[in-house]
Amino acid sequence: MTHWSRIRSWMQANLWRSRMEREMDAELRFHMEAYTEELMRGGVLREEAMRRARLEFGGAERVKEECREARGIDFVESLTQDIRYGLRVLRKSPGFTATAILTLALGIGANTAMFSLINAIMLRSLPVPNPQQLVILGWTARQEPETTQERVWSGCQQMLGDQNEHGNCSFSLALFQQMRAQQSVFSGMAAFFDIDSVAAINGQAITTRAEFVSGDWFSTLGVRPLLGRIINPADDARGGAPVAVLGYRFWQSKFAGDPSIVGKTITINQILFTIVGVAPPGFLGLEPGIPLDFWVPLSTEVAVTPDFDRRVPDLLWLEILGRLKPGMSVAQAESAMNVIFVPSVTGSANPMFKSTDEPRIKLPSASHGLGSLRASFSEPLFFLMIVVSIILLIACANVAGLMLARAAGRQREMAVRFALGASRWRIVRQVLTESLMLSLAGGALGILFAYWGASSLGAFFSANYYMPLDIDVLPDSRILGFTFAVTMFAGALFGLAPALRGSRCELTPALKERGGALSGWHARWRWFSLGNALVVAQVALSMVVLAGAGLLVRTLVNLETINPGFDTHNVLLFGIDNTLIGYKGAKLENLYSDLRNRLAALPGVTSASYSMAPLLSGAYMMTDYRKPGASEQRALGTELLPIGPSFFETMRLPLVAGRTFTQEEFSSTVKPGPMIVNEMFARKLLKEENPLGQLVADAGSIVANHEIVGVVADAKYQGLRHEITPTAYVPLSDGCASFELRTAANPKALIPAVREVVNEIDSNIPVLAVKTQTEEIERQLYQERLIAALSTVFALLALVLACIGLYGLLSYEVTQRRHEIGVRMALGAQSRDVLHLVVGQGIALAVTGAVMGIGAAVAVTRFLQSLLYEVKPADPFTFAGVAILLVLVAMAACYIPARRAMRVDPMDALRYE
Amino acid sequence: MVEKQLDLLQGTLDMLILKAVSLGPLHGYGILLRIQQVSKERLEIQQGSLYPALYRLEHQGWIASEWDASENNRKAKYYRLTAAGKRRLQAETEKWNRMADVIAGILGTKAEEV
Repeated sequence: MTHWSRIRSWMQANLWRSRMEREMDAELRFHMEAYTEELMRGGVLREEAMRRARLEFGGAERVKEECREARGIDFVESLTQDIRYGLRVLRKSPGFTATAILTLALGIGANTAMFSLINAIMLRSLPVPNPQQLVILGWTARQEPETTQERVWSGCQQMLGDQNEHGNCSFSLALFQQMRAQQSVFSGMAAFFDIDSVAAINGQAITTRAEFVSGDWFSTLGVRPLLGRIINPADDARGGAPVAVLGYRFWQSKFAGDPSIVGKTITINQILFTIVGVAPPGFLGLEPGIPLDFWVPLSTEVAVTPDFDRRVPDLLWLEILGRLKPGMSVAQAESAMNVIFVPSVTGSANPMFKSTDEPRIKLPSASHGLGSLRASFSEPLFFLMIVVSIILLIACANVAGLMLARAAGRQREMAVRFALGASRWRIVRQVLTESLMLSLAGGALGILFAYWGASSLGAFFSANYYMPLDIDVLPDSRILGFTFAVTMFAGALFGLAPALRGSRCELTPALKERGGALSGWHARWRWFSLGNALVVAQVALSMVVLAGAGLLVRTLVNLETINPGFDTHNVLLFGIDNTLIGYKGAKLENLYSDLRNRLAALPGVTSASYSMAPLLSGAYMMTDYRKPGASEQRALGTELLPIGPSFFETMRLPLVAGRTFTQEEFSSTVKPGPMIVNEMFARKLLKEENPLGQLVADAGSIVANHEIVGVVADAKYQGLRHEITPTAYVPLSDGCASFELRTAANPKALIPAVREVVNEIDSNIPVLAVKTQTEEIERQLYQERLIAALSTVFALLALVLACIGLYGLLSYEVTQRRHEIGVRMALGAQSRDVLHLVVGQGIALAVTGAVMGIGAAVAVTRFLQSLLYEVKPADPFTFAGVAILLVLVAMAACYIPARRAMRVDPMDALRYE
Repeated sequence: MVEKQLDLLQGTLDMLILKAVSLGPLHGYGILLRIQQVSKERLEIQQGSLYPALYRLEHQGWIASEWDASENNRKAKYYRLTAAGKRRLQAETEKWNRMADVIAGILGTKAEEV
């Protein structure tokens, strides 16, 4: 009852504020009038009666305020007041307001942008119902299994989490079928496997990413189609018609979102598939950020990739997804699955494991998908997140400095409010309200910056990843919550010091004194003032970011200026994946030589060749070579690259001794096969001997099966960051190939001609990954470029913010000390002395900050070690360089306030007093 | 010489207001008059302090208010005791009486009684 009445009175008070105010006025007026009348009845004159009524009643405003408080409206009421007042104050100094909001927007925006990416790549759950029930099936064991081949994907090891044991997430088809038939812990259990495939769309062959899925894959995930239907178990039955479900993005980009797509067909690896549905827009597959193009039933795998028999029992190739039954714990499910798995892999006629290997099922959560992107991007994202939080700190220190300066300027205003009876808490709250208003405005603007920034970052990631990405950085509730938290945190952080300062005001001097009077500046001019400390902190923090950026830029420069041993300019690269469309043996050899001849004949092409993979692409093969008769332990780990004719000529990789391969050697299978090695190979394996004519044996061969016919200069093959290793080149006769064209001029101009040549030979051959060698290297370095570019941008931002802070402090002090400067000049100080006064303070602050920053940077840059290349974390040149840059920019920031100080007219300044 | 008026004891104003309106609905000024009249002018109440107390009591639900015509036909805000206020007044009165007894007992103690 009383609770209800309290709530009602509070609600009435707040909802019908103006009515309540009217009634309160009327009530008090009635009281006064009644009393006045009574006094007049007692013979007092009207004027005197009214005076006495007012006097005896006491302060009407105070009574009203107490009444309002009694009704519990004080908080909302005064908050509205504070906000109105704050708006007025902020509007009155638009320069300060704009600087503060922009600074905060940059700080908050940078944080939100980084968080949006982290959210999209690492934190977001799969867009399916109850994602927490989803698990991936994996296994661990003490030994590697006895199998012909297993597929490993990078995310799996990370998900299994145990570095000490052997583990994987691939299973054979037989194991999958057995486990699915016998299990009782999952409400759904589905297998999947993805491949690159070639789809023909409008007569053009393009490579696509397809996923084979078992019939219950979609229903296990709970994904509903946008159009048509999903793949069901009947499609997956042996002999089912080939059907496909398209990914939303693929449907949009390749079929222009055709609404009548269902029922049409698509050719995948020369098999005709009927399109039965389209997946919903948010669902990309199990990898967040990596969109799949389409899904087809697992049973069609035999027809789509006929060259490869995956149905053998000891080939581990299928990944398995399970949805735990409601209430089923992971531990329960693991032990239940072990009952099926362990006997099956240890007890068959051809066991994969011995029982002492302790093979066990592991069920890592798949609620966030498989996490390939997580693995690739977590390190740079983590690093950049730290950088942006430093930026936020600088921004906060900056705005706090501005607010402090203003708080000093507003001392009289505060004093007046004190004198009028405002409580200390009320004033603190007023200043805090202003800071929160600033940070909220900054946060709102920051979200816009962040969306733009995160989209461009996502596009950058996508352009440099080896497949297109779809990173959704649209703000969701988590991002908004994060931004709000950061905003409130920032507001409290930069608002608290000025608020407390403002509330600690001495009444009398503040009311009497003008800013800039001599007695005042001693207090403000203390070396360790809060304003100075804030500027030093900003400079120190920006020094840390600058030092980090400097090291990363030097790393990038070091990598980009590495001489890889061959000429990287004017080389065009492209790949063709012919194995998908049935070129083999002699037919393949003819294709390669035909293509190479036609390409070499193109105008503008100096020379053409091909190899298994381009140099410096990250793709490489390793094998061991040893001298005949030497033990396996003496074998030399060697990078192996199968190449086509004129490879060294095309790459401008100098031949040091011997000869290159003859035309016949590319088609013959004579043993020992010819081999060309690099100088390091010759030096390490053969020491002083003449390498030419030497016979060597590769891993697995007892007899010498290779003869060295030539030696080439050392060159990097696997990647720029890798040291040059012993390398061997052999003639390429099988498998896929990447072509290299040495051009006379801009290699990109040749792209249309290249496509035409390939199309003339066979229009079913897709041309893949066309790029120049320089672009390939750039792509290899994308992580370094990304981090170097972003940390440079952030470092410059930090530098600018710190200098704005310094500039703000000095300008403020020059204004405050106008009078003092005037007195000094009147007493004979030269403008040079005034310059020293101002610039001296600025430089002292900057140098103090820089020195402290160097100390902090030395402590912090150690953690960058793994990202650096040929530069030490505490590189003195980098540190000195950025410190000099910092102090120079700081001097520039001092210049404007110093000039203003020098222009002070003594007469003017003194009269002002 | 007029007898000096007594300052109101802390917290007793609420009780006096409740008592005043328990005798019938009154406006603020009427409450003031009633208290002074009943106390035979021996209590001094700062006029302004009455209203925050009224608002507080209404907020707590012990009194309720409505606008009505006053004796000289002007609109005035009348307060009346609610059921909860009645219980409150009763409880306060008992507490006060007990307290007064105890204190009177203590103050009336003579040396030989200890």
